[in-house]
Amino acid sequence: MHTLLQDLRHLWKLKPAFRIASVYLILWVVLSLFLPLLPLVYEPNSLDLNNIMQPPFQNNPSQPTHYLGTDAIGRDVLSNVLYGARTGFFIGVPVMLLASVIGVILGAAAGYFGDAKLKSSKASIFALWPLTLFSLYFYGLYIPAQAATLQMPVATASIGMLIFILAGAFILLRTLLNLIPSLKKQVTVPLDYIIVRLIEAVSSIPWLILVLMLASFLQPSVTMLAFILILTSWMGIARLARAEMLRIKALPYMEAATSLGLPTKRILLQHALPNMLGPILTSFTFGLASLLTIESTLSFLGIGIPPTVVSWGRLITGIRSDTSAWWLVVFPGIFLAATVLALQVFNYYLLALSANKKKA
Amino acid sequence: MLGFFIKRLLYALPSLWLIVTLIFILSRLLPGSFASENILHSQSESYYSKSDKSAKQQAYQNYLLRTGQHLPLFYFSVTANPEPDTLYKVYPESERLHLQKLAWQYGNWPLVTAYYKNLQRINPTSETKPALEMLRKAVDGKAILSALADLKKAAPYSSTVQELEKSADNLIRNGTGYTYLLPKLHWHGTQNQYHTWLAGLFTGDAGNSFRDSRPVQDIILEALLNTWIIVLISLLLSCLLAMELAILFLQRPFIKLKQLIMPVLFLLDSVPLFVLCLLLLVFFANPDFLQLFPAYGMGFFQTGNLSWTEQFINRLPFLILPILSLTLAYLPYITNQFYRAMLDADTSDYVRTARAKGLSHKKVIRLHIFRNAWLPMITVISDFIPALVAGAVITETIFAVPGMGSLLVASVQARDYPIIVAIVFVVALVRFVSHLLADAAYMLADPRIRLQR
Repeated sequence: MHTLLQDLRHLWKLKPAFRIASVYLILWVVLSLFLPLLPLVYEPNSLDLNNIMQPPFQNNPSQPTHYLGTDAIGRDVLSNVLYGARTGFFIGVPVMLLASVIGVILGAAAGYFGDAKLKSSKASIFALWPLTLFSLYFYGLYIPAQAATLQMPVATASIGMLIFILAGAFILLRTLLNLIPSLKKQVTVPLDYIIVRLIEAVSSIPWLILVLMLASFLQPSVTMLAFILILTSWMGIARLARAEMLRIKALPYMEAATSLGLPTKRILLQHALPNMLGPILTSFTFGLASLLTIESTLSFLGIGIPPTVVSWGRLITGIRSDTSAWWLVVFPGIFLAATVLALQVFNYYLLALSANKKKA
Repeated sequence: MLGFFIKRLLYALPSLWLIVTLIFILSRLLPGSFASENILHSQSESYYSKSDKSAKQQAYQNYLLRTGQHLPLFYFSVTANPEPDTLYKVYPESERLHLQKLAWQYGNWPLVTAYYKNLQRINPTSETKPALEMLRKAVDGKAILSALADLKKAAPYSSTVQELEKSADNLIRNGTGYTYLLPKLHWHGTQNQYHTWLAGLFTGDAGNSFRDSRPVQDIILEALLNTWIIVLISLLLSCLLAMELAILFLQRPFIKLKQLIMPVLFLLDSVPLFVLCLLLLVFFANPDFLQLFPAYGMGFFQTGNLSWTEQFINRLPFLILPILSLTLAYLPYITNQFYRAMLDADTSDYVRTARAKGLSHKKVIRLHIFRNAWLPMITVISDFIPALVAGAVITETIFAVPGMGSLLVASVQARDYPIIVAIVFVVALVRFVSHLLADAAYMLADPRIRLQR
């Protein structure tokens, strides 16, 4: 953590491009958080039907100016661009944070435990895990979903049953383990193999196509889209976390920690994780940039995001009704590209620094 | 060599099967939701909205039958205990939902069916109609009893009503709640959607499109050609350009050029593909700026008396912008990767030896560096083909090229699942084949690599 901050400060002092990118990103965050407080004349979704398809920078004396013009139904481009930045932030950052948590947990576990280190008893592999998964599906997903379509208040009973079954299974397993010693036999779990295969399977279809397809299965809403994006964007970070963990595992201080007899949890959280933060941050910013791109692409195509959500992509869609309205592409396009560029520049310098460190 | 390919194919088949199966099942988990939106609940002015409710029901049922969606999804299903496995056969949907609610509430299927049959037997007259409507919605005991009381007032001496009352009483008294918390396994046999689809796939029949009932493989084959032309040409173009740029960057006299081009490429890399396409469209296919190219479509098809090359030349103006946008979008990444691969080779010992031998700079690059940078470059290219296919989704949609990408977007908007699943299958296949070709290319590039594994 400390070294990461030091690195950032170092880059801030030496590289002007890094400074500009960071300032832009900070501005983006501040703008997204405090945008509703800004005194904008036009709401992003309010229609000004007297001034449709108005080119930018045209002063109309009778009413406040649309500085960046309007689209085909008179929505103000400026406020749409600003609120689009906010939407991008509020979809991109939480999704990427959750995806990073999933990715780091899976990747680090795969790297640390490998194929031989994780052991589990036969009973829990063949009985407890399948039972847990099934009851999670049945009581946690199937019955509440059915109850929702039937409009019956049975969800609480279902969750109660879930807890009851899991608790019962745990107690039963305990007693069984004491009675039958052969069930206690430890079996190695090829965790690395399983997780690597999982990563391969999810990334075997190009991201855009996968997201498009999954979005077609569900009703368009921001929560559903966020869910889909989380499920399909953790692989990059997982791959990186796995590689980093493999590298860190071989370092002397990890050996020292292990030989001191520290518990696994402490080794992972206090020794391994802080040293992975730099690479994780680069992967985070990279993922955020591609999330912004894919979010605006989806709302441009009108898939997965409801048309009431303000977004850069939705604004750009307006070009389809009139190809001469260049301002509908250029302004949101510039902001989108600039945000992605700032993230890439930030990323580039951080990567270059860590590459230099590895060389030295 | 052939044995190696067969082995790889056998290894790849399970994962291919797994992906396609998962997608197939995911796509059908919400049965007919698109159709029920469009046919049953349509509010807008469409073909179905003008007809009455029973006609809509009939249309919906015909649609399910035509697309095979009336069958159960998979070989087995796990449902809540009181549901019978033939519940999906009940039409219309509102009646099925009511039956399902009753089954969940009282947990005893025979009693529910007995009650329901008696309910069906009553003839609706003008007096009994309101009470019957109530009964068709009532689920819990109190609601049923009060609706029954109304019904009795309306038709006091009817024997069917008395039977109904008896069965309702029986249902309420003997039904047990909460049995839906027990799971029950149903076996459907081979009469299910997945089996018919998979069996069809083995005989070369990927099903019919939901939208126009044409065979999926015909639709895909029509779309495939245009996508391939775009993808292959832009692949070739961007790789050639990237190679030349990377070679330029390696030479000392061009360092100024490198310092100029690299930031431009970096900038280009952060412009999303759809914005790039639209910018090209706005500035190069627009009467207000420069109208150099046609904006949309592929022109008129006159396949009759034109030869293959003439057809291609006819289509070329329509293809330039899509190809240009794809090439520009992926050029930065490829150039960077190629440059890095060559830079790695540049620092090796044999290059120093070659230089010490007195070879010219150009010869060192073309003969020594380039040859040895082949392996990482092959990897980049093979990973690049699926990405290009994904990029084609955007370019084709924007430039209205009738290819796989625009087909995918249209199918997603119409929820035409057979086409979506087939396209994903094709994309997964393309990725597999490109990796296979990469392995073959590794061997050609470096004979030391043996094809084992």
